[in-house]
Amino acid sequence: MSADATPFPPHLSSEFLLWLWWRSERDRTRFDLPDPVGPIEGIVEDRLAFRPPGGDKATAVLTGENPTATLEARAALAGGKVLHDLRVMFKRDDREYALQLGGPRLDVRALKVPKLPTETSEEALRDRLDRYEEFHLILTGLFAAFAEERASSRWRDEVVPALRRWARPQPGEA
Amino acid sequence: MGILTGAMTLRRFRVEGELPGGWREIVRERLAEMAFREPVGGARDEELEGWVRVDDLLDTSFADPAGWLVHPWVVFALRVDKKSLPRNLVKATVAQEVRAWCLERGVERCPASERKRILEELEDRWYARQLPRVQTVEVAWHVVDGFALIGTTGEKMTDRVRTRFHRTFGLELHPWSPIDSLITPGLASSLLATAPFAGGQP
Repeated sequence: MSADATPFPPHLSSEFLLWLWWRSERDRTRFDLPDPVGPIEGIVEDRLAFRPPGGDKATAVLTGENPTATLEARAALAGGKVLHDLRVMFKRDDREYALQLGGPRLDVRALKVPKLPTETSEEALRDRLDRYEEFHLILTGLFAAFAEERASSRWRDEVVPALRRWARPQPGEA
Repeated sequence: MGILTGAMTLRRFRVEGELPGGWREIVRERLAEMAFREPVGGARDEELEGWVRVDDLLDTSFADPAGWLVHPWVVFALRVDKKSLPRNLVKATVAQEVRAWCLERGVERCPASERKRILEELEDRWYARQLPRVQTVEVAWHVVDGFALIGTTGEKMTDRVRTRFHRTFGLELHPWSPIDSLITPGLASSLLATAPFAGGQP
């Protein structure tokens, strides 16, 4: 069977995850995305996994409470590792989507979607698929925002220097 | 995967090709044609696969669309049954039976044809009494927008679903890429032209 997929270089996956993490901290979890998504919250939760730049498997995993604030997380970046996957939560209005996002093609794992009261199994299934579609809309909205920055001169002139400052381990970090 | 319940682990695919008008009937017929079938008689097949209803791996009836159509989604599952015998136990048992065969006849060597018969009879007996390991992978196909979700991120099982989907409907499933979602003209090609920055680190 032919692969015939649109290419997706693995560095875009790890850079998108890094951008998500950085933007979430910089803008206090708020992402103002254009229509049809609108404002959402995005928070990196209790898992960060790193891999070597040329590798395809996670070789260092940080879990537990607030791993993004640890010295180990910044040290992994400073040491040349790239993100393999993140545990992340997105919130649009009052609907929350928690998942593990990552891998070379931004695979979706263990996605928890909001549950609404329904009367029949068909309604429940339709609702879950609708919720998945809303999650996908959020994900593609975020990726489009990343892509706009990544492909522009802002990336080199503004984003990379800011990322470097942010990623540097700070004295006194836990 | 958790299409019905629980957390969802999945991959998204573009469906290449179009179903003709009257697709409901075509989908129903083809799911039925390629449904899972229990083995008849000697259950020697090591692997069997076929479509089942998403809510019941024993149900292969697709006559009622209520069981697989949540418009515009078509939902079903691939059931894969695998049987495997413990090879070391098979080998040791065949050797034991070969020794008994030789002892009974007062000979030192067992012909290859007899050894083969002993092995096949043993496998037939053991496969017949062994329950398979059963896996199901859910599929949700958005027939209007032309994409599908496969409820696994495992390459082997994903390929199996894609192959059977193609054999069933004549349509190919191509892995979705985040690039596919970019609508700004030129953005996708600009993004694909980027190189990792500083080896990927900031």
